[in-house]
Amino acid sequence: MKILEFEKLESTQKKAKEIAKNSEPWTVVLAKEQTVGYGRKRNFWYSPRGGLYFSAILPKTKIEDLQILTILAAFCVAKILKEDFKLEPFIKLPNDVYVNGKKICGILTENIIFGKEVRNSIIGIGLNTNIDQFPEDLKKIATSVKIELNKKVENEEILKKILNEIKEKLEIIS
Amino acid sequence: MKFLIKIGDKEYPIEILEGENEIKIKVGEKEFSFKKEEKVFLAKTKFEKKEFREKKILAPIAGTISEIFVKEGDFVKEGQKLFLLSAMKMENEILSDFEGKVKKIFVKKGENIKKDQILLIGE
Repeated sequence: MKILEFEKLESTQKKAKEIAKNSEPWTVVLAKEQTVGYGRKRNFWYSPRGGLYFSAILPKTKIEDLQILTILAAFCVAKILKEDFKLEPFIKLPNDVYVNGKKICGILTENIIFGKEVRNSIIGIGLNTNIDQFPEDLKKIATSVKIELNKKVENEEILKKILNEIKEKLEIIS
Repeated sequence: MKFLIKIGDKEYPIEILEGENEIKIKVGEKEFSFKKEEKVFLAKTKFEKKEFREKKILAPIAGTISEIFVKEGDFVKEGQKLFLLSAMKMENEILSDFEGKVKKIFVKKGENIKKDQILLIGE
């Protein structure tokens, strides 16, 4: 697993898509902050420093299996939040994770399809970890691990746990 | 083998002689000979049907067309983004696998589509 870390990116998804063609599976693009982070339907994802933002280039997988993986990725994140941080996550299908009624994590899988073939698949995860506070318009709908626990968590450790969980799940389903 | 062929009012004496390696055909005083091994090949030329040159872009899975990046008449390159298809929790960028002109687009933005439905025809 190769992790490419960036101080600041427009979007880890965008970067991962750019490099996907010439990258090994499980190459991970990690950014300390995103200026144009996005989720499904190109919805803006608030991505200041402190949060965990990454996109993993997946191995070639059938499109049907990717659908399942996307949903399972939310379970992977929820599992870590519950087991490691004793939070009570709620998975809002398809792929958002909530804590105390507020969004804490968003997941997006993007496939690049050439003709009939899935050329590349990228799973992107934005997890609000060490975000101290949100802007007024997001305060009521978003939260972070730090806000919930009142303590800082280790992004790198969480990243590796999530990636290992996803890898394991993909091996099981495909 | 001798026989007569009558064309209009005129008669032509024909004689066919078969040798070991050739066949002779005599018409009156004129003689034509053909080698037996000589084969006549007919050119196997098939004209490509127009449909054959058409390139179809099909939906890889069922979903909703969220974006259409090209319009009819546009020239597209191989690898150019054509559609964004939101499907089952995923966003799918559908790239062109041909270079050419967009002949017809069969879907609209926001339309729900089935797997293998034709999205676009190019030529």
